Amino acid sequence: MTKRSILANSISRRTALQGLTATTALAAMPIRARAQSNATIRWWSPQASPAQVAAYEFQIAQFQALHPEITVVFETTSDEGYAPQLAAAFSSGEVPDIVTHLPSFAVQSYYANGLIEPFNDVIEAIGADDYFPGANDVFQAADGNYCGTGIGNSAANMMWLRKDLMEQAGIESAPTTWDEMRTAVTAMQTGGLYGAPLPYGANSMTSLIFIGFIHQAGGQVFSPDLEVAIDNEGTRNALEFYREMREFCPPGATNYSWGESLTAFVSGATATGIYTGRVLANVRDQNPSIADHITCVTYPRMSEDIAPWTFNDFPSVFIPAQSQQKDAAKLFAAFLFDPEGYIQQLHAAPGHVLPVLQSINNSPLYQDNDIIQKYAPEVELMAASAAGGYNLGYESADHASNEKAGEIIGSNVISELVQRVVLNGDNVDEALGAASATIEGIMQG
Amino acid sequence: MSSSNTLLERRYAALGLMLIAPTVLVFCAVIIYPLVSAIYLSFFNIFTPTLEGEWVGLSNYTELLQTGQFWSALGNTLIWTVGTLSLQIIFGIAMALVLHQNIWFRSLARSLILFPYFISTVVAVLVWKWLFNDLYGIMNHLLISAGIIDFPMDFLGTMPNAMVSVILVGAWKYFPFVVIAVLARLQSIPDALYEAAKIDGAGPIARFFDVTLPQLREVLVVIILLRAIWDFKEFDLIFLLTGGGPINDTQTLPLLVYQEAFALNDMGRASAYAVVMMAIMLVFMIVYIRRTRSEEGS
Amino acid sequence: MAHLRKILFNLMAWSIVLAVAFPLFWMLVTSVKPQFELFRRPPTILPETWTFEHYWTLLADTNFLVYFRNSVILSSATTLLVVAVATLGAYSLVRFKYRGRESLAFLVLFTYLLPSVVLIIPLYLLLVQLGVSNTIFSLVIAYTTFALPYALWLLRSFMAGIPEDLESAALCDGATRMGAFRDIILPQLLPGIISTALFTFILSWNEYLYALVLVNSDSSRPLTTGVMNMLISSFNIEWSLLMAASVMMSVPLIIVFAFLQSYLTRGFGAGGVKG
Repeated sequence: MTKRSILANSISRRTALQGLTATTALAAMPIRARAQSNATIRWWSPQASPAQVAAYEFQIAQFQALHPEITVVFETTSDEGYAPQLAAAFSSGEVPDIVTHLPSFAVQSYYANGLIEPFNDVIEAIGADDYFPGANDVFQAADGNYCGTGIGNSAANMMWLRKDLMEQAGIESAPTTWDEMRTAVTAMQTGGLYGAPLPYGANSMTSLIFIGFIHQAGGQVFSPDLEVAIDNEGTRNALEFYREMREFCPPGATNYSWGESLTAFVSGATATGIYTGRVLANVRDQNPSIADHITCVTYPRMSEDIAPWTFNDFPSVFIPAQSQQKDAAKLFAAFLFDPEGYIQQLHAAPGHVLPVLQSINNSPLYQDNDIIQKYAPEVELMAASAAGGYNLGYESADHASNEKAGEIIGSNVISELVQRVVLNGDNVDEALGAASATIEGIMQG
Repeated sequence: MSSSNTLLERRYAALGLMLIAPTVLVFCAVIIYPLVSAIYLSFFNIFTPTLEGEWVGLSNYTELLQTGQFWSALGNTLIWTVGTLSLQIIFGIAMALVLHQNIWFRSLARSLILFPYFISTVVAVLVWKWLFNDLYGIMNHLLISAGIIDFPMDFLGTMPNAMVSVILVGAWKYFPFVVIAVLARLQSIPDALYEAAKIDGAGPIARFFDVTLPQLREVLVVIILLRAIWDFKEFDLIFLLTGGGPINDTQTLPLLVYQEAFALNDMGRASAYAVVMMAIMLVFMIVYIRRTRSEEGS
Repeated sequence: MAHLRKILFNLMAWSIVLAVAFPLFWMLVTSVKPQFELFRRPPTILPETWTFEHYWTLLADTNFLVYFRNSVILSSATTLLVVAVATLGAYSLVRFKYRGRESLAFLVLFTYLLPSVVLIIPLYLLLVQLGVSNTIFSLVIAYTTFALPYALWLLRSFMAGIPEDLESAALCDGATRMGAFRDIILPQLLPGIISTALFTFILSWNEYLYALVLVNSDSSRPLTTGVMNMLISSFNIEWSLLMAASVMMSVPLIIVFAFLQSYLTRGFGAGGVKG
């Protein structure tokens, strides 16, 4: 089967039409100049809180001082918006030159379709030895090349706890198993206070978090050779537990995504939370009264025998293959890891994006931050958990890289499974069967 | 005489064509071309970011007709359209009648009523999400203090609440359109008609049904079809409010197209959905044209 | 008795009006509450502490003004372009006779049916070909896809409502066709044009989907996507900032439309909404 670019052909065949539009539209408007001598590179990221953007601007200024011929423009995308925006960009060839903070599985999917430049030389330039061992495994593509690298690690399903509430409720230690968690949230849930802000919405957070629950029950979505294996005992137990947890979550949790879930814990509406280290900065800014009472642990599992499973979306850096400024972009990509700027970037949300380079993690400059010092054990734990973390594109060290993970998350098939079982009370066998079939369809699609 | 007339007519025809030319050009460029592309793409199996794929003929269409998702989305679209449209029409007419009366500060009242239609869908959604908020929302607080419910209600996350909420917000957002059109028509109904009805001894209710409604009929036919088309196509409001959830219970056809195209990266299937959607709306339009033609005829 | 009925009717009417406008009120109230007061349960109806810090934050620390400017430029340009093209087109469709006129009118209605989602990707490719992608102008082009059919359709019905004999009289007096258009038709059509312009402006001001996909630089992003992108994120949802932004997005429109409101209804009255 030969693949061909459909619209490119059809456009070139419609030159007459093009001429028409060109005369009407172009007469009035200047064509965007494409100066070659001065390179302008466009940088996209969905991670753009004001503090982060300020740090990016610092890095850009530093880089431009070193390379006056290159201009870097930062543009914000969003977790919900990047898929259509990149689709439009890729299909038109008008791509950003560097993209950061997308989950690793999105990068793998684009790479598998030939849309991304191999990243090996940039990793070399950054220093392959400096990474935490295995940090780049998740970016290794089927052809042996690296499709990108991590700009950080994230431990996205840490369990956040309020020590003051635990004490009030007489809970002595942080829960490690589901039974203990059930006891804890039952004890802590009172009048206006809910136990947990677990997401039950039809969105990617629900899918991503629930995949964690499947693994915390010893299950998996795919077998290591990528056969669909979601219909297993672990998934069933996870569904059962997730359903039990519904009554400990706020009523609106049926629509929760990351922002709502985070705000619920930070504002003090729930006794536990599930998020990255972003909690720390938000508590400092929005609800300092609980700052001395929060801590985090890895999310509880069904039993002690099952290893913790941390969801790390492996925030990435990659360079689209169609970029006109690849060399400049590679230069800039490597510069992103320059200690001064990189540390400032990490400090913009301490504990949220964790360093991937050992030299940075051990650097006194990185450690010199109020939040990182105040919550040193928590940050340490998150760093360790994230380093051993996984996601749907990379379910375990044994799993082959799954290029369809992005589509599976995007299809909401897993959040739909959760909603069907938990909210609708549908038959688990049927719901699981339907989910398996849908995932199968996506894998073949 | 007759020859100069035809010459003039020809000149006029040429001028007429010149005047319509910009419209035709714009239509060809920004509407016909994308439309033809969409139909063309629907015969392929295409990965959105690369727009590469292979010819699959009609299989996108046969598959979509077989999948339950299409039919449930179609069902949701119809529930949403019919639900929100009837509320818009009923509430719109009622409000127009009230605002046609000489109430206090009529001008201010009219501005306030028209306000939901002017604000961005984004703003409307944000405000309603905040009103509906489970923990801090005023809606739940008011309902609980009024003793209507005991626990905070989940407006957007369960069924049927989600569909009802979406329909209500849609009605709130768009009923002013009906008010504007009906109010304009009401102002042009001659008072003599009401006087005559009064003399015949008709009460206010009889006058509404015997005088007002027949006069509004024409404008209503048009409004209903206009709004029906807009509501059928509505994307922003539902997408931002529920995103199609819970499960797929508020997922209407435009949202399904979006999901296929950008979340599942299947442009071919998305185009097929879109083409079918247009076909359905075409039926609406044919009804519309028949309707207006027969009215003009009568 | 009649007096009492009148008062009752007024009270009833106004309570409905206020219920409809309640979200506006709540938006205003929330925007002047400090963030911590939002998390109060039960919620306070009137703010205990008044603050305008959210407005200052938006104006001083964010791109809000850039987005606002973009929205104004975008909506005005779309409105001008669409109304100009549509006025000529409507004049032609209503007052001239040539082959294909009927099918053109049909085509206008057909394009009115197209869902935006379908057009996005092909449209984007077209804009890239034209070299205008990621600019405000690209959105102007995109917005004509839904604004032009609607404007043409509205103006056509307004145009049809203008008596033909006035124009014929002018033509008999030796006026040219375009002269008659300028002197006779345009003044008569003015309410219709204003009304159409208002609707076009509202549609462009409110659009979200095209702006989401077609534009990705802060220098050309309009308010709708700009505000969503800036304030709703996976790391924070600041309701008071969102409400302040909503107020500032809406107030200018509300003021303008409060003044032009009579045009809106008068415009409809003159032309009537007809096929």
